[in-house]
Amino acid sequence: MSIALDQVTKRYQEQPVVNDVSIEVGEGEFFVLLGPSGSGKSTLLRAIAGLTGIDHGRISLHGRDVTHVRARDRGVGLVFQNYALFRHMTVADNIEFALRVRRMKRADRVARRKELLKLVALEGLDERLPGQLSGGQQQRVAVARALAHKPQVLLLDEPFGALDAKIREELRRTIRAVQRELGITTVLVTHDQEEAFALADTIGVMNHGRLLEVGNPNDLYTQPATRFVATFLGAANLLLARQSAEGIHFGATPVNAEGPEKMQAGREHEVVAVLRPEEVELATSREQLSANYIARGAVEEIVFTGALERLRVRLLDEPSAAQLLGAGVAGEARVEVTRTQPERRDLPLRPGAQVALGARRLHILPTPISSFLACAPTEAEAAELAREPLLESLSTRMKTRVGVRAIDGLVGTPEPFAGVAAISGGENAANTVEWLLRHGSGEVLVLPRNAPSPTRVVIHWTDEAVRRATLAVSASLLRHVSAEAVYLGIVPEGGSGGRAAPMRKLLDARSEAQQRHGLEMRTELAIGETVTELTRNLSAGATQMLVLGITDITQAGTAYRSLLAAQPGWPVLIVYRPPEAGARATPEAAA
Amino acid sequence: MKSVGQREPNVIPGFGITLGFTTFFLCAIVLIPLAALVLKAGGMEWERFIGVITSDRAVASYRLSFGASLVAAGVNMVFGFAIAWTLVRYDFPGRKIIDAIIDMPFALPTAVSGIALTTVFAGNGWIGQYLEPMGIKVAYTWIGITVALTLIGMPFVVRTVQPAIQEVQRDLEDAAETLGAGRFYVFRRIIVPTVLPALLTGFTLAFARAVGEYGSVIFIAGNMPMKTEITPLLIVIRLEEFDYAGAAALGVVMLSISFVMLLAINLLQVWGRKRMMVSR
Repeated sequence: MSIALDQVTKRYQEQPVVNDVSIEVGEGEFFVLLGPSGSGKSTLLRAIAGLTGIDHGRISLHGRDVTHVRARDRGVGLVFQNYALFRHMTVADNIEFALRVRRMKRADRVARRKELLKLVALEGLDERLPGQLSGGQQQRVAVARALAHKPQVLLLDEPFGALDAKIREELRRTIRAVQRELGITTVLVTHDQEEAFALADTIGVMNHGRLLEVGNPNDLYTQPATRFVATFLGAANLLLARQSAEGIHFGATPVNAEGPEKMQAGREHEVVAVLRPEEVELATSREQLSANYIARGAVEEIVFTGALERLRVRLLDEPSAAQLLGAGVAGEARVEVTRTQPERRDLPLRPGAQVALGARRLHILPTPISSFLACAPTEAEAAELAREPLLESLSTRMKTRVGVRAIDGLVGTPEPFAGVAAISGGENAANTVEWLLRHGSGEVLVLPRNAPSPTRVVIHWTDEAVRRATLAVSASLLRHVSAEAVYLGIVPEGGSGGRAAPMRKLLDARSEAQQRHGLEMRTELAIGETVTELTRNLSAGATQMLVLGITDITQAGTAYRSLLAAQPGWPVLIVYRPPEAGARATPEAAA
Repeated sequence: MKSVGQREPNVIPGFGITLGFTTFFLCAIVLIPLAALVLKAGGMEWERFIGVITSDRAVASYRLSFGASLVAAGVNMVFGFAIAWTLVRYDFPGRKIIDAIIDMPFALPTAVSGIALTTVFAGNGWIGQYLEPMGIKVAYTWIGITVALTLIGMPFVVRTVQPAIQEVQRDLEDAAETLGAGRFYVFRRIIVPTVLPALLTGFTLAFARAVGEYGSVIFIAGNMPMKTEITPLLIVIRLEEFDYAGAAALGVVMLSISFVMLLAINLLQVWGRKRMMVSR
């Protein structure tokens, strides 16, 4: 491996800006770190360069552990967004800087400089000062300067940010060519997905300090695993569908979709489907569609952008129609559509036209948290609960919606619950959780009033059968919260068998979290009674949250009653899977 | 020149008015008094003029005035840079207060600074009583004069260098570091060249201020002819003897030396700025 990061964490004022990131970049690979501003990508790059120390983890370059090696001894070349050229030095002096530091002979320096200037197509500009060059030329000089000492790794921090579109394109091509010619391992940081697609062999997407997904550009675009990657890499319509034994449905309409073939835990549940704008088919009626019918809609807006036509289509309310995530009020949902010129010629549309929408290709996200449903005795209380800061921030970050449902008296047989049910904490919470789980809910979030966003999430499960589901839910949650994840293993006091078995369980949990769910979590082992130890652990730090996996519904009302009733309490996300379904899942998880 | 002024509309209207005002102001406040000085000195016979300005006492005072001013400005350049660096680059409790204290020498009547320094550095003063046994006499020697001149010149350096340091981007240091440069190398090759023009300006201002300083020095100098007598004091002495022409002659010498030195520093700066090409 050319660059290997192992569980790298960097905190500023206790807040992790880079959170447990592990990456491996192969020899000669062009790796692009993509993420919105503030996602920690630049900090990570600076950490690789050695300009920022890290609080935890290890960095190795070409097999050499450089975690504690100073920047100047790491042998990296770094290119900055604002060029960072030495303005009082000529182009020649800038490029030769690293060589002078190394006391290279003059003749060798000159030869190397000529070679580099040729590489970046700036021959003859040796004696200019940076102030006399254009932005694009300055950045070329910066690239040449960073390559002068033949670094093993080239790092580029938003190198095209300050340039206009045309020059950007040109420089992009130059950098790609230089990288190919030298075969140098390169990491580039950008927030521009188009740039990432154009340059990368491999893209790593970051958000809130976490590395969400790593893959080649095409895989990440067509088969994203997370909501964030789906919407950050290009435009995406996120639709809510139900997955049952028969397949995927929008309301009453079955559709074909790609994604996880198996249903989780054998229960019917809600899933999130990704529909790219270019995969939407429009026709005048349902019969004329060649693709899966999903809904009827009215064209609201048409924007002509040259090669493509962008449309916004409002979905018309009908029972069989697809539900759009994050759209709020029903009937206000809008689908983004792009059509090519031939498509446009076949069916010219004007705003106001009614159309049938079809999905050529749907991708089901393997995320266990599809949406939230705030449940309270009355509709008004449920609506108030939906405005809880934590729930609001979670739904915004997950780009999902919060529905409301009155569950007065916990009697009768309710309609099936979709998504994660949210209830308020307190004395009655345990009973409500039990009732919800009995009536088909798989996950329940118990929220104390005004709970802040957690900085530490404690993960625990009572039975190995629910391990996988708990980890999946935790991973999904932690992708959207900048908190550290800790798995707390608890061994009863004086238990037989010694420490070896629980330790192995801890390590198994960690490696499964990492490999299957991309979740980096720490592990801790406590000895004592489960609820006592959980309470002790949760009380220790500032803002904590608990993800608890159970297989026995009555546990919620009995063993964990005190935990759920605690004042002021912590947000608790309960993950329930029935034991028989769990038993089925176990051999699969072991495989 | 006129066309240059009219080419672009400006915030303050009228190139003619502003240039006229500038010229008038310079004449009334600066040039005419200086011309009067030169004229007064010109009233002397040549031999007497030479005699006055080359007398041993006068030459000794030039040496002290310009020597002490150069040393003081040099000391200020080093420590003023350090202070400015600390204020810009670090955040610590009391930073704002220290930042405000820097300007104190601007506001204080110089005589007050002189008396204060003398009290502290005299043989029985707070600091003087410890220095005296070590054989270092500060008050009533050239060292004391230099200390006084350093005090009054210090804010000039700090205030001119501060913005320049703010402009040294951290990225430049980071870039140099990834290229293999050590701290001292970065300081010498990156930071100093970037800050140098401002540092020279600060040096010039501090030097000019020190040469003209009178109030604070006379208290701490002891004012012994040939030893601790600065030129401005000698001029005052000549005035008290009603030897106006002699005083003017000494004034002309000070004026000439100062002008030559300031011009030299300015030319150095212009040269430096050309190399920097700050404009984009």
